[in-house]
Amino acid sequence: MSPTLEYYCPCQSSTPHPPQPNLPSSSYSFHALHNLYFCEECDAIRCNHCVMVEVSGYYCPNCLFEVPSASVRAEKNRCRSCARNCFMCPCCSNTLTVVPSDPPDDGDGRPPPIISATGEPPFFLYCNHCRWDSAEVGITFEKPTGLAAQLQKFEDSAPEALEFERLKEHFEPYLRASPSTSGHGLGHSHSTHINPITAAASSALARDIPGVARYTPHISARSRSGRDKNSNRHEVPDYRARVEIGSTGLNLGGGAESDVDFVRHLETVEEMATLEQRWGNSWIISPRASDLKPVRIPLHSKKSKRCPSCRHILIKPEQKAQSVRYKIKLVAANYLPAISISLPHMQAALAMLRRSGRAGAEPQDGTMLAGKTYPFHLSFTNPLYDPIQVRLHVQRALPPTSPNAPPDAEKARRPPFAVTLPSAAFPIAAFAEAWEYDDDEDMFGIDDDDFDGRGGGGAGRDARGKSRTVGVLERRANVTVVGGEVMISKEARGDVKFNMLVSYTYRSDDPDPADELGTPSRTQAQNRQPEMKTFSFYTVVDLGTIIVRDASGNDTE
Amino acid sequence: MAPTRDKFTIHSKAVVCQDVDMKGDITIGSGTIVHPKATIFAASGPIIIGSGCIIEEGAIILNRRKEVMRIGDDNLFEIGCRVECPMGNFNTVCTRARVHFTTRLSSYCVIGAGCLVVATDEEILDEFTVIYGPAAERRVWSGQGRIQEADLRRKHAEYLREMLPKFNRLRRGDGV
Repeated sequence: MSPTLEYYCPCQSSTPHPPQPNLPSSSYSFHALHNLYFCEECDAIRCNHCVMVEVSGYYCPNCLFEVPSASVRAEKNRCRSCARNCFMCPCCSNTLTVVPSDPPDDGDGRPPPIISATGEPPFFLYCNHCRWDSAEVGITFEKPTGLAAQLQKFEDSAPEALEFERLKEHFEPYLRASPSTSGHGLGHSHSTHINPITAAASSALARDIPGVARYTPHISARSRSGRDKNSNRHEVPDYRARVEIGSTGLNLGGGAESDVDFVRHLETVEEMATLEQRWGNSWIISPRASDLKPVRIPLHSKKSKRCPSCRHILIKPEQKAQSVRYKIKLVAANYLPAISISLPHMQAALAMLRRSGRAGAEPQDGTMLAGKTYPFHLSFTNPLYDPIQVRLHVQRALPPTSPNAPPDAEKARRPPFAVTLPSAAFPIAAFAEAWEYDDDEDMFGIDDDDFDGRGGGGAGRDARGKSRTVGVLERRANVTVVGGEVMISKEARGDVKFNMLVSYTYRSDDPDPADELGTPSRTQAQNRQPEMKTFSFYTVVDLGTIIVRDASGNDTE
Repeated sequence: MAPTRDKFTIHSKAVVCQDVDMKGDITIGSGTIVHPKATIFAASGPIIIGSGCIIEEGAIILNRRKEVMRIGDDNLFEIGCRVECPMGNFNTVCTRARVHFTTRLSSYCVIGAGCLVVATDEEILDEFTVIYGPAAERRVWSGQGRIQEADLRRKHAEYLREMLPKFNRLRRGDGV
């Protein structure tokens, strides 16, 4: 239960101010720094809720083969599977390997002296982890290559696959008759951004679902063309299923009588396939664990993300499946100072516990009690190659709350605690790679000193003066630690959670006044020659829950 | 528990490294390989290990009981496993698996990596039992590929018999 700090992305609200942190819905607007992106063009933070995601490539997670998107689509119902020999164990979802069968056992327990390297047919799939093998469900292969092609015969002859083919055939004339120009219809009208990419995506979607009538809500309200479509639909003859649903008595899994029978005669739970084992299948399969078939490994995709307003790419992975690098990576951690927060009194309590050997115990001394004042430390790390000046504000003037909750709003407007932060701007030195290396030892030394100071002499620090708890406490490399203080009132309840506005001033690389006009969050200081720019962002600080002491709690209530 | 006298009987064809922690009355059969840093404790009763077993680094074999703990032939004890039970032949105890003394393995059993097998009362695992996964699920192996695996096990042992003495000092039994 350590204190946390999260960054605000304004995509969810219309105002630049974040919602009150005590509202439950506010958690959707705040994110950890490593989940955020930064658009250089718009000069704004972007989160995973607001970015546009597109698939940049498909690959098999097992063999890392990149599957061209055309073949992903063309493979129809098998589109999510690897066309090679990658299969997943239906029992434990490990990867299966192809193994030859055993040479004939001569009975005395000793194997024949030579086992040929190629092995002898029939081959089968074998799980090294749970020792499931496909011979158990009657799947064997003549040769150890091209298993997918060999298995395809089984898949194609499955009654469900045949039925689906027939359905597609049945609706084929109807689909051809309906005007294909309705691609720009209602499929993506809910999308606020209509650009070539979404249009292409939605038309691809429309194309990819044959046999499914396009959803057109006000088709009857439309004039001639709509009626034409309607009449077209009526021309489609009734479809007759190849097999009646009720008549598939032998097939389990359809929820019919046979299923009930099977469940009634269960002897152990293991006979029943678990939900995880059946989840990934396209068709309903038998609930019997002994009937599970090997599953082709579903493909994974690499995704790139774009800024929702300027469409510039924020993050784009390298095409190759083996590579874990990115071609473009505009992550917020490279632009915004990283802030971490700590409560020194809690750390002191933890250290004390560790020293007394009760590491598992609840740190009672580390909790925050109502009616007390606690210092906290904010440590800023500058990722930029230029020094920055940081200024902190607590969001005091909260925006008016909704009128339907007046008592709550009154309470929320005056939080039950007061936060003191250093009011003056403080500097953070520039980031330099060299520090990454030679400062490691120093950092450890400082940490130790710090720790001792906090742990051993909390009182000494107090005696030295309260002024030390608020303000810049420490500066080293590209890290500056500042202290703040939170004063918790006597009748306070709930979490100590407040919004903090962080604005930092940095030297701009590209003085571009035209660009400045459109960006409200950035203001220009014209008076100095190396152009200075300011960027502001909101964070939410959660210091923890206030503990009400029993005695004081009784007093107040 | 009365401490038993140390008495190691190691077959001349067994490969037992010097850096093996052994206590009590232990018999090691021919062709068995004990890697360095393995531990074999016959705390109360003796331990008799058959031939062709492979006991890897950090494996612990412990007999808490008075009666003889018999380990059959061609068993594989992978790195860091802990076995306190007697067993038959061709069992595999995978990395960091633990088998409690209330259990007995018959033959061809596989205890998966990290699995904990604790039977509340005495239990003998059937042949071809496979225990796997984080929840230590059980299934019965069909036995397909058994002969190939046995062949591989023998080749594995043969290779180790050749290579281990080149890089490790070996321990000899009391009789030799």
